[in-house]
Amino acid sequence: MQDPNKPDLDETLNVTESHDRMLREAAAVSREKHVDEGGREPVSLWIFASCGLILIFAGLALGNIGSLGSLFDYDQTVKPGYVRLDLSEDGAKGPPPAEALAVYMKKGQKMYSSKCQGCHGGDGKGGAAAPSLVGSEWALGDTQRFAMIILNGLAGPTSTGQTFAGGMPTQKVGMAPVDLAGVMTYVRNSFGNETGDVITEEMAEHAFKLAEERSDPNAQSTKEELESKYLAPLEGEPMDPSTKIDPVTLEPVEDAAG
Amino acid sequence: MSTPSDNAFDVQLRSEIDRSLRHPVMFFFTSGAAWLAVAILLGIISSAKVHAPGFLDSCPWMTYGRVSAAHQTALVYGWGCQAAFGMIIWLMSRLSRQTCRNVGTILMAGHVWNFALSLGVIGILAGGGTGMPWMEMPSFAWIPLLLAYVAITIWSMVQFKVRPEGHTYISQWYLMAALIWFPWFFGSAHLLVHGFSGSPLGAAGVNAWFHSAMLLLFFAPVGIGMAYYLVPKVMGRPVYNYALSLIGFWSLAIIVPWAGMQKLTGAPVPNFLPYLGAFAAILFAVPAAVAGINLLKTAAADMETVNHSPTLRFTVWGLVFLLAFGFASLVLNSPGITQVTQFTIAGYGFDILGVYGFFSFIAFGAIYFIVPRITRREWLSRRLIKWHFFVSIYAVMAIVVVTLFGALMQGIAQEGTYDGLWYNAASTVFPYAVLTTIAWCFLLISNFFFFIHLTLMWLRLGRRSSHPTLLVHHEPESPHGPEGDIDNTGTASAH
Repeated sequence: MQDPNKPDLDETLNVTESHDRMLREAAAVSREKHVDEGGREPVSLWIFASCGLILIFAGLALGNIGSLGSLFDYDQTVKPGYVRLDLSEDGAKGPPPAEALAVYMKKGQKMYSSKCQGCHGGDGKGGAAAPSLVGSEWALGDTQRFAMIILNGLAGPTSTGQTFAGGMPTQKVGMAPVDLAGVMTYVRNSFGNETGDVITEEMAEHAFKLAEERSDPNAQSTKEELESKYLAPLEGEPMDPSTKIDPVTLEPVEDAAG
Repeated sequence: MSTPSDNAFDVQLRSEIDRSLRHPVMFFFTSGAAWLAVAILLGIISSAKVHAPGFLDSCPWMTYGRVSAAHQTALVYGWGCQAAFGMIIWLMSRLSRQTCRNVGTILMAGHVWNFALSLGVIGILAGGGTGMPWMEMPSFAWIPLLLAYVAITIWSMVQFKVRPEGHTYISQWYLMAALIWFPWFFGSAHLLVHGFSGSPLGAAGVNAWFHSAMLLLFFAPVGIGMAYYLVPKVMGRPVYNYALSLIGFWSLAIIVPWAGMQKLTGAPVPNFLPYLGAFAAILFAVPAAVAGINLLKTAAADMETVNHSPTLRFTVWGLVFLLAFGFASLVLNSPGITQVTQFTIAGYGFDILGVYGFFSFIAFGAIYFIVPRITRREWLSRRLIKWHFFVSIYAVMAIVVVTLFGALMQGIAQEGTYDGLWYNAASTVFPYAVLTTIAWCFLLISNFFFFIHLTLMWLRLGRRSSHPTLLVHHEPESPHGPEGDIDNTGTASAH
């Protein structure tokens, strides 16, 4: 008879064998060791020392800009000379005046890097696709000739007689007189070129007028055309490169206080 | 000490816990390994495109921007998160001494996670990526992912809540922290980016913080927590110093949430954010060093065990990578160096060091430990493990060293010898990109070994034996030859 309170044990069960099987099934578990995390070995000094070094390092990074007080100081990270636009209506003073040459150079640099740099290179030395602008006779000589090349492009030989495949395409599209003035000023005063003069917006307007008056305004200029018609400076009142002008309107500023 | 009957009861409880978890844990490990394979394939393609732009260029789905994003998404959410889930639910059950009673829900949620992730990765490849690193998946994916996360891990929190009174393990601190932090940063970051039409700059900032939090507030605590269990467990030795673990944990918890914004150095965000981010990211070296040194000191006492145990080999190398990870965080975020490396491949190298070097190595170690227990089979071949180990370790080291050094060269080229042509600066990366591709190919090989091995275990084709698979040429305890005794019924089954 079986005791109803006891589990239904089969008498033929080999307890040792089933125990072994259970052990084998759970072998990985039964051979495990206990986790003991409560180590109390004395901590080596170098561990604290290296943590201290890290702390010092982090502190230096935080204090890199002087003192903690300057963490909230914009002047520490903003480039010198950077001026935020005053957007309030009554206080619309605009940026402070600057020297004419610097203002035109800055505009020209932007224009140069978007339109010219691809072929003439960041250093103006040209390459396989375009001639060098450094010391170039046409870039530094008569400004009418230089302006015509930029506005109309160029077919055939350059000032040195070298010919480039396809010549130079027109750069007139999307260019305003002020852009032309800037880029001409920039090329004439960069990469070692130093004519020291400013091509003003007024002169650039004259160049645009000349370009429109050509018999075929869409044709590229040629050496022959340039050397026959445009050996003169662009018309307009020359500007002293150190004149203080307004960087937005480009008008000379009377007040020399800035 | 416990009496023999206590011990027998304990063995039974632990084996019941393992038994109850075998389906969800194996699901996360195997699907994680499959995603890892996908991530590596995409990694090879995206890396190859850096030096061979013509490769697969006719297919818009395979353009660099998409493949690279899909590669990182698969690595982080497919492999990393799923390996973490497997480790979390197993370890939390073990340490809280509770069997898992929600297997069905967890499995279901695991499938939702995989499904949402698959759609997300397809969305990225189809061109719907958001363009924000590690948050690349189209905006539909994050809510199902978050819900699946909650359904997977909430039971671990419940188990922690109802654990027997007494000692709370170090691993449990880390796991609980990760469990709470993940929904916090994942939810708030995605809500801020997708839920509100804020400024793109704000989104970039949130994304930078999220990226750092994912690495340092999820992968780091899960990996460290797992290592705090594996090392003393397999060694059978107490952890070097308990107080150090406290310092490590609290420094992580207090410092690391501040990190992340250093990515935006120079961007028009409030000035203190990048500085504070860099400060916190540098200080991450403290919890990394403390945890790494604490456990390596524990392991160093018995190098023979470390060498013989697949679990410990991977875990210990994961800890070495953790030290390197902390050190890299310190170096890469110091202001002078950030300036050079900010816009280079250094960020990628740092991510791989964290996700693959540190976290995955500990995850591999954990898998080599957990899988025999839940499948009740031993690993089939020590050769497969050895190949997996050696190929991975050299490949990961190669990727990390090559990308970090390459980034330095790239940064110097961008800053110093910049001659107006960005092309020249960018092309300095070329040799490093080639080496990275080669290293990813080796990682593919190593994971081939791992994946085959894991699949065989999953199919319950492991060795039926009471002897563990150790990385030694012959097992002196086994009377039945090098591979242990096949299906022996008894006497050798020692404790």
